[in-house]
Amino acid sequence: MHRVGRVVVVVAATWIISSGVAFAQETPVPPADPPPADAPAVPEEDITVRGRVIDNLGRPIRKATVTVEGTFDEVLTDKDGFFEISAPLNATLIVSTDRNGVALATVTGPVLDEIVLMIDLATEEITISDRAPIVAPGSTTLDRDELQRLPGTGGDVVRALTAMPGVVNVQIPVGYSGVVIRGASPQDSKVLVDGFEIPILFHPFGFRAIIATEAVKNLTFIPGGFEVAYGRSSSGIVLLETRPGSENRSTQAEVSLVDGGLVAQGPLSKKTRYMFALRRSFIDFILPLVIPDTVDLSLTTVPQYWDGQLRVDHEVNSKWNLTASSIGTTDKFELFTTKDEDSKSKRFFTQTRFIRLTGAAKYHEGPWSAQLALSGMLSDLDAEVGLYQKLKVQTRLITPRVSVARTEEEAFGLKNVVWTGGVEAQIGHSTTELAIPLERREGEPFPPYDPKDTASKFKGTVWFPDYAAWTSIAADFDERFRVTTGLRADYFSRPDELVIAPRSELQIKLTPKTLTARFNGGFYSRPPEFQSEFLQKEVRSERSQQLTMGLEYTPFLGIRVQGSTYYTYRTQLITHNVDGTLGNNGRGESKGFELLAMLTNGTWFGWLGYSYSNSSRIDGPDAKPRLFDYDQPHSLNAALSWKKGHWQIGGRFQLYSGLPGTPIVGAEFDSDRNLHIPIPGEINSDRAPIHHQLDVRIDYTWKWGPAVLLAFLDVQNVYLDRSIVTYFYSYDYTQKSAFESLPLIPSIGLRGTL
Amino acid sequence: MRHALFIAVVASAGCTEDVDPPWQLDHDRVIAVRSTPPRINSGETSELDALLGREGEPPIEADPEMAMVVSPTSLSTALTMRPTGWFVTAPGPTQLAAARAELMLAANEPVPLRIRVSFAYPAGTKTALKVIWLGEHLDNPTLDPITIDGMVRVTTAPINVDTVTDIRLSVPFDESYVVNWLTSAGNMHDFDLPNAYLRIEPEDPQSGTLGVVVRDALGGVAWRLWPLSAE
Repeated sequence: MHRVGRVVVVVAATWIISSGVAFAQETPVPPADPPPADAPAVPEEDITVRGRVIDNLGRPIRKATVTVEGTFDEVLTDKDGFFEISAPLNATLIVSTDRNGVALATVTGPVLDEIVLMIDLATEEITISDRAPIVAPGSTTLDRDELQRLPGTGGDVVRALTAMPGVVNVQIPVGYSGVVIRGASPQDSKVLVDGFEIPILFHPFGFRAIIATEAVKNLTFIPGGFEVAYGRSSSGIVLLETRPGSENRSTQAEVSLVDGGLVAQGPLSKKTRYMFALRRSFIDFILPLVIPDTVDLSLTTVPQYWDGQLRVDHEVNSKWNLTASSIGTTDKFELFTTKDEDSKSKRFFTQTRFIRLTGAAKYHEGPWSAQLALSGMLSDLDAEVGLYQKLKVQTRLITPRVSVARTEEEAFGLKNVVWTGGVEAQIGHSTTELAIPLERREGEPFPPYDPKDTASKFKGTVWFPDYAAWTSIAADFDERFRVTTGLRADYFSRPDELVIAPRSELQIKLTPKTLTARFNGGFYSRPPEFQSEFLQKEVRSERSQQLTMGLEYTPFLGIRVQGSTYYTYRTQLITHNVDGTLGNNGRGESKGFELLAMLTNGTWFGWLGYSYSNSSRIDGPDAKPRLFDYDQPHSLNAALSWKKGHWQIGGRFQLYSGLPGTPIVGAEFDSDRNLHIPIPGEINSDRAPIHHQLDVRIDYTWKWGPAVLLAFLDVQNVYLDRSIVTYFYSYDYTQKSAFESLPLIPSIGLRGTL
Repeated sequence: MRHALFIAVVASAGCTEDVDPPWQLDHDRVIAVRSTPPRINSGETSELDALLGREGEPPIEADPEMAMVVSPTSLSTALTMRPTGWFVTAPGPTQLAAARAELMLAANEPVPLRIRVSFAYPAGTKTALKVIWLGEHLDNPTLDPITIDGMVRVTTAPINVDTVTDIRLSVPFDESYVVNWLTSAGNMHDFDLPNAYLRIEPEDPQSGTLGVVVRDALGGVAWRLWPLSAE
């Protein structure tokens, strides 16, 4: 008999193995060499040309003028030195700035090599300005191009999160739709897209993000110590920013074994730009073809998803900008663990859908800036197991938010003063119908599978209007010291709870240009909103107090080294009471340190990240200390990528601790329920072994007629390390079977630029 | 819920690569505990026995080595050991009423008498829980007709089947019953559905035992075993 465990691995592996073709009108990888001699003649029509202007230190040059020779067409480079302009092939571009002189470039295709403007090194004052300052100690921001240089992501830039020090890494993220930070629970961290929370980041098997790579502008990872503008999280935050449409119209189509999508962007008018992305899975067409007929499964709906994003940006005038955006996904999965689709007792079904619509107006004039935003979200979770168990949750959320900032170069004897303030309401309404076993909380052993167990039942509606307000002020006390202090107040109406969260940070420039120390401390909370927490009014928010110390060292342009050490004390952790109800009986702590070294100089991209973490908790007054489920002491990620001419070659080595687990020391047979009741040993006293793997990515870019093609091969775990992820026990707990990591995961892709 | 769903899928299929599946009879285990009858009125008596799987040997029906009342302890005298096995005798209405009060049950509700039974195995004792309901009478389910390989099997006579053939198995119960088909020869498919099938490949054991266990929602249980060989 074929084993479902093996089938799931097949599902997961097949999902990853993508062999696809993408055609686009822009690509971030420039072809360095002229087109091959046998390339067909290219008509001399205008094409959209993208390039980047840098100085001879590799720094982007902002507001350089790019002109097509013999025309009046010109554009300015953006803050990252990028530009887009329409020009015929073989035309000459004149690139100039008042400060750096002039350079010429020939249009050889839609993407150009970097154009270097020389500076006078003798008189140049070098300032570290290639990268925005990080928002908190230990945090990192990467743009899409950088994210794509990390091997081992299978072409999904959001999965680069797994390389961030502080993110818990797992070999097979099945059933893992969020992000786990510093050993906490997944629900303790939030993922925000364009400033607003989304309920899931990954599709059910955890291998594909719900946002297409080409729709991402950048990703910011904040493991803790985030500012007062962010709340509802007691651990860390992931910020994803979608890309606004470009000034030139472009369309990209992409097809792979995993999914297919379309990204379209461009101007709607002189001051309005759009970006539209749509993606649908294909795995549901392919998987039934690769699963043997002898397996006792009926895959009526193999993992099927749709993802969509739409963003429209409109510049009203020099002061006002409007943005309307939406993000949504629908995810469906249904199978019968039998060939007989009439056997409803063997049916497993889940559907997750959400759509978030956001409208925002941004204002900026002189020292003032403001943002008015209104965001609404509809989400729908529907799950059914067999004849008796079901979970249906429909949630409507509306979130108005106003934030204001004012900057002063000097005030009250302080310099670079920035004041911010904001208010937000999150009005939620949930219609819930559930009949499920008692939900498993953090650390509790997995209960035996009993399809008739409906110990938790509820049917009704719940309102949960929550409100928040915050303010902060930051200022330089002198050239070395900068202080930020703020206060956030959250009112969670369901438990009638007001949470005051002060947060502060002290920055000290240990050297004028290269070395900065940061000390950060604050209070954080997350409301009771996970699983059925909000069904009990008396359940209060989980709290944390975070202390972080960090050092940032930037010895040269393009090199940054940062380290941070942290201590987080958690209180009011939600646990089960003896009678099965929920209470805030737990407390815990996380401590550790994180190191990150980054090299970005165009040709080379280097990444070295390491984190040490220890997360433990106590679930009640008489309980013993134990590890969190996601405690991962060691995590190392080292990556190096080289890009020159046609080629980009990179490798990434990962090494991380296995996760804790609770051994089963025995079981007793319940004859009437026909199941064995496990007897757990000490909670999380076992640990899966260390996992390590090497991932390799090779990109090759070439020109073929009017198209620039990019082929890539991304292979994860090239030396086939197979470590144990977890154990599955037999039905009577007398035997156990190791569930191993996937041996090798290749992703093959081809992208074309027309 | 998503993680739970995944676990449920694996668990319901009941197996991974290296462990015995739940339909495997060649395994040390308590397969079912039966009380005959499962629900008794005051003064009536119910007898306890069990179906035991044994590694390397055919399954057997056996009386418990030991038995004890888990709850309510006020009714522990209802359980007695006699030379022929363990028996439960339902106490009088007064004692049942007291037990209902102890368990916070409504008047006339049957009282669950939870019993732990144990059986000796070479590797140690195995225990099981069984509930006998006191205060009303119900019998165990009746299995017939059972259809195996197209024939109705009313006796436990040996069954001969072909190898490399899907042997259809059927009992007439809807999905409110828990049906388990078990074997020590070949592979069982849909073992927990009323309609299952058995397939014996040449590399499988060519003889063993075929069994079916049916549980109703009221504590009733019934089983039947057949010697099985393939040719």
